Amino acid sequence: MKSYYIILRYELFSLFISPSTYVAAFYFLSLLALGFRFFIETFSNTDWLLPPLSSLIVGLLFGAPALIPFITMRCFAEERRLGTLETLFSAPVSNWILVIGKWSGCFVFFIIISALALCFPLLLLLMFPEQGGNLGFNEIENWTGSTLYLLIFGGTFTAIGVFSSSITKNQMVAGMLTFTLLTAYLSIMVFSFGNQTSDAYFTNYQKLTDGLFGTYINGLDKFGQFSVGLIDLSTILNQAALTIFFLILSTIQIERLNN
Amino acid sequence: MSVENKPLPIIEVVNLKKRFGRIQALKGISFSIGKGEIVGFLGPNGAGKSTTLRILSGLIPADSGEAKVCGVDLAQEEGLVRNHIGYLPENNPLPEDLRVIEYLRFRALLKGLEGSRLKERIKVVLDICDLERKISERKIGNLSKGYRQRVGIADSLLAEPRLVILDEPTIGLDPHQSAVTRKMMERLRGEVSFLLSSHILSEVEACCDRMIILSHGQIVAEGTLHDLQKRFVNKTTFQIVASSNKIDIQKKIRLLDQTCELLQDDPVEVSGKRRYNFSTDKGEHIAEKIVRTLLEENDIRISEFQIRRPDLETIFLRATKKNWEEHDFLNRTKI
Repeated sequence: MKSYYIILRYELFSLFISPSTYVAAFYFLSLLALGFRFFIETFSNTDWLLPPLSSLIVGLLFGAPALIPFITMRCFAEERRLGTLETLFSAPVSNWILVIGKWSGCFVFFIIISALALCFPLLLLLMFPEQGGNLGFNEIENWTGSTLYLLIFGGTFTAIGVFSSSITKNQMVAGMLTFTLLTAYLSIMVFSFGNQTSDAYFTNYQKLTDGLFGTYINGLDKFGQFSVGLIDLSTILNQAALTIFFLILSTIQIERLNN
Repeated sequence: MSVENKPLPIIEVVNLKKRFGRIQALKGISFSIGKGEIVGFLGPNGAGKSTTLRILSGLIPADSGEAKVCGVDLAQEEGLVRNHIGYLPENNPLPEDLRVIEYLRFRALLKGLEGSRLKERIKVVLDICDLERKISERKIGNLSKGYRQRVGIADSLLAEPRLVILDEPTIGLDPHQSAVTRKMMERLRGEVSFLLSSHILSEVEACCDRMIILSHGQIVAEGTLHDLQKRFVNKTTFQIVASSNKIDIQKKIRLLDQTCELLQDDPVEVSGKRRYNFSTDKGEHIAEKIVRTLLEENDIRISEFQIRRPDLETIFLRATKKNWEEHDFLNRTKI
């Protein structure tokens, strides 16, 4: 467990001293802030049914293909390019700890960026309490559900990024692969949005399989529940399983490199 | 020392084999290294040196055979060996964005050091590897190759290992930087066992107690320099610097020893004198007899005489030559 924290700290430290992550974070947050401001200004004229806070979460989620590659592309690809992975292998650390330590470092960085983005509505609430309250920024259940949704998907996205980084020595290739995989994943969710058949037509078996695996492609449909504070356990479990799946794939790849 | 009291070797390898696809990298090598010994691992490219070192470091598993490092059986507890050894990989890969002190702190933490012991060990290794404070604050990416190599060695020494494995530690270093590495090993002689692979034979000759020569995945020679000299070079070589011509000298020498041969066709001229290298099958006493006889001759003026011991390069070439002759370039054994 101690080695896990050391790897996590090292990964986080490497991200903090890398100029590329600062540049990516700056542009990402700037664009997100502009988008958020535009959305809040025009909110009354839109037919957006969900709480306004959800717009920021959607922005973070759909902006992830632009942000996650910058966070994860270095983690294994850079180590492979420099050859420092061999030095890491020579330390008393297992490959699994190495992978989850690096993933955790990237995920914590993603959380930090998300936390900075979530400061926008908080600042709005502090500066203009009445307007902020009217927009629902003071409702704790909106915050809990939305943040949890962001975290579970953020975890999966970072795991996909770590996996992409483990299969190549080239950071750019790792970044492009992460971008492609995340865009593909989000596109599937967008195209499946609203296509859920009513439960009334489902057999018990279909209900079970939909409950267990349905959120992989219908994740966006579940966002409606999360954004108002209704937490869907199957979505959490499915995303956790997908995250673990990509982390296992990364570990297998690292084991293969070691041999 | 009785058999019962004999200390356990730090490395004990028996019939170690490793194959990569169609290439048999190690064909059953056996050797052992005692506590505090500095052993040089020599061999041409592709001989299996790095493969052996990587197996002993617990990085890759062997296909068969036994290997015990610091009492840990690698077949059963491969990962455990990493707690006892320091390892410097070939080309010494280091993260370029970190400062030396940050990197060493990270490595020390990974190796289980903490608190005051961590600080003390970092201070000690910086001192051993001659990395002054100013250097330790610099980014690794901005360091010269020599300093980077010292950082790698400092890392391998952090956790007070009983064995340090260095894969080509002096490759690409200037003579001054190589001397620093040698000095570091000298300082730790007796306390820590070193197993180092190198192509720079003079380095190995200067600092190793014993050498193991590997060729085509087999050990072709093993022992101290003296043992290897006796085994591989049974001719005595001597050098004469004289002002006389080649034919006169050769004629006089042949009268005393028919087996004596001039090693080069054209002797090297140095300040108007000629340097001749001879070899004889009859040992050092005949060489001395030859020079005494030549000194008595009036027409031959000898200004220098030296019996030359065969260097490691000669031994290395002879030891690996036989093995090379038995294999073609595709690593197939000739029948």
